[in-house]
Amino acid sequence: MSTQGPGGAGNVGMYVGRDMLASVPEDRREDYLRLVQEISDLKYQLGVEVARQLPRLFAEQDDAAVERYLDQVRAIADVGWKSGVEVAKQLPDLYHAPDPTLAEAYVAIVSEATAGAPDDADTQAFIAELDDLERQLREVEPKQQRATELKSLLAARDRRDERRRKHAQELAAALPPILARLRPKHRDCYLREVQLVAAADPEAALEASNTLLDLLNGERLSHDGASAWVRRGLDVLEKSKEVGRGYFRMGSKYSLEVLEELREGLALRKVARVLKLYATALSGRDVAVRAIDEMDTVDRFGPDHIMLPADMRFFRDDDRNFVAYKVAAAHGAARIEFGTYRFSLEQIPETVADLGAKYGPGAK
Amino acid sequence: MAVETQRMADFRIVEEPYYLPVGNEIALFEAAYEAHLPVMLKGPTGCGKTRFVEHMSWRLGRTLVTVGCHEDLTASDLVGKYTLRGDETIWQDGPLTTAVKAGGIAYLDEIVEARKDTTVVIHPLTDDRRILPIEKKGEVVQAPIEFMLVISYNPGYQSVLKDLKHSTKQRFVALEFDYPNADLEEEIVRAESGVDADVAERLVKVAAKVRNLRTHGLEEGVSTRLLVYAGQLIQGGVEPVPACAATICRPITDDLEMQRSILELINTQF
Repeated sequence: MSTQGPGGAGNVGMYVGRDMLASVPEDRREDYLRLVQEISDLKYQLGVEVARQLPRLFAEQDDAAVERYLDQVRAIADVGWKSGVEVAKQLPDLYHAPDPTLAEAYVAIVSEATAGAPDDADTQAFIAELDDLERQLREVEPKQQRATELKSLLAARDRRDERRRKHAQELAAALPPILARLRPKHRDCYLREVQLVAAADPEAALEASNTLLDLLNGERLSHDGASAWVRRGLDVLEKSKEVGRGYFRMGSKYSLEVLEELREGLALRKVARVLKLYATALSGRDVAVRAIDEMDTVDRFGPDHIMLPADMRFFRDDDRNFVAYKVAAAHGAARIEFGTYRFSLEQIPETVADLGAKYGPGAK
Repeated sequence: MAVETQRMADFRIVEEPYYLPVGNEIALFEAAYEAHLPVMLKGPTGCGKTRFVEHMSWRLGRTLVTVGCHEDLTASDLVGKYTLRGDETIWQDGPLTTAVKAGGIAYLDEIVEARKDTTVVIHPLTDDRRILPIEKKGEVVQAPIEFMLVISYNPGYQSVLKDLKHSTKQRFVALEFDYPNADLEEEIVRAESGVDADVAERLVKVAAKVRNLRTHGLEEGVSTRLLVYAGQLIQGGVEPVPACAATICRPITDDLEMQRSILELINTQF
């Protein structure tokens, strides 16, 4: 069965069928819906039954009968809604009985039967006390809920504080060896920035302490750049601890983007291949170009690679910084070509002879 | 039926082409000519192979018929073909037949680019038979003793798809060419372009450095011919750096980083 409920009639549409509404004269449909809504506000089940019966009464065009029906249903509902539902169902048939008083008598009987004898004084007192207690309980309920919430919050904070203390302890152990590797000129900047991160999150500070060491010692960021990088990281940390820790670990794309944005000078990465080809062409050897921050993995000086700063910041513009790179690469290429790192005293006569053969007698 | 042959005067080299010997290649070539042996010139592009053949052609007083080989070159293109001329069908000798008949030098440039059937055509000319069969006419042309076959071949271009068959390679006296040493190359650049010794020296230094990149992304180093071009532009009033960029840098690579590194080498020299 499909249902219909005009917007102005509350949820009456949930139980007024389309066929019920169709059987009500068109000019009375608004009244029908309104009345059903009123009754259902008393009790939903009453509304359902009234909705079924009212079309019959409206069809008889007897407004007095409709009025009387609803009054009687309300009266019974006051004393017991279940009796009211049954009365609402039976009453329209009784209105058609030869004796017009029959319906009144039926309502009176059911009403008295439902209501019973008036309460004695004790019962009245019990009811009043119960009502009062129930009211008090209802008032306390939100407070109980809040108390539960607060307990959960405090427990979470306890756990967080515990974790925080654990990471602070780890930071305490990790910092001294890191500080031992920090170049003195970066000390103030480094300590200030690590302290800022530590105050926000010791776990993130563990990550930041290592990353900042590399960034500052490797001259990849100026002090201002390091401060800006940390500030941007703290913003991330405030929104999400996990993402923020990733930022300070340099494990997020955003972190690398910020670093790239804050970098001053020319990054070796951008010109490494050009410099490699340049040095290879100059020296005639297969030369690799490596950043100084790779020093941990390769010898600083070797016969096949040139170590260059990861960033060149001698000048304000990239063109001149590239020239600085080029000079350094040419210097490295010459050392490789002429065997600076392969040199030994025993080789002097041979080296002089080789140079003479290569560049003419003037080279001697 | 008429037969059409090209005027041999068109192939005669009257003025001495400039050529600076690098080693004993002139003596070897002359010896091969006297012994009626075919010659194969091997070497990178722009190192002077064609100029050498022109020089030898002038030196020996022989006409020179040059064929630039390509992948669509057929045996008919070399030997000859029937063609319509008005209402008449005529036979037109190909460049190889023309050179054979005239007792000149037939120079097949970049022979490795030609189709395989084309290379087979030259085989009877390269052994002691010294004949050129013209199958379409049912003729065999006997090469006079003055005829010489010369091919050029750039080993740098060989691949699994393009290489000379051993049966072809082993029919030739091979002369190996490479870029000349710095002194000779400076002299060539100076003579060919007219630049002074200082500019020539710088150009040759740039070339030497660029050639160091041959195994690092460059298929071939900068050729002597390109150095001459650079010198000619400079001599024509172009500043050295843009002249070198246009002749030494951009023609040999499309790799932008490679181009930049070569430009830096040029900047270093100029």
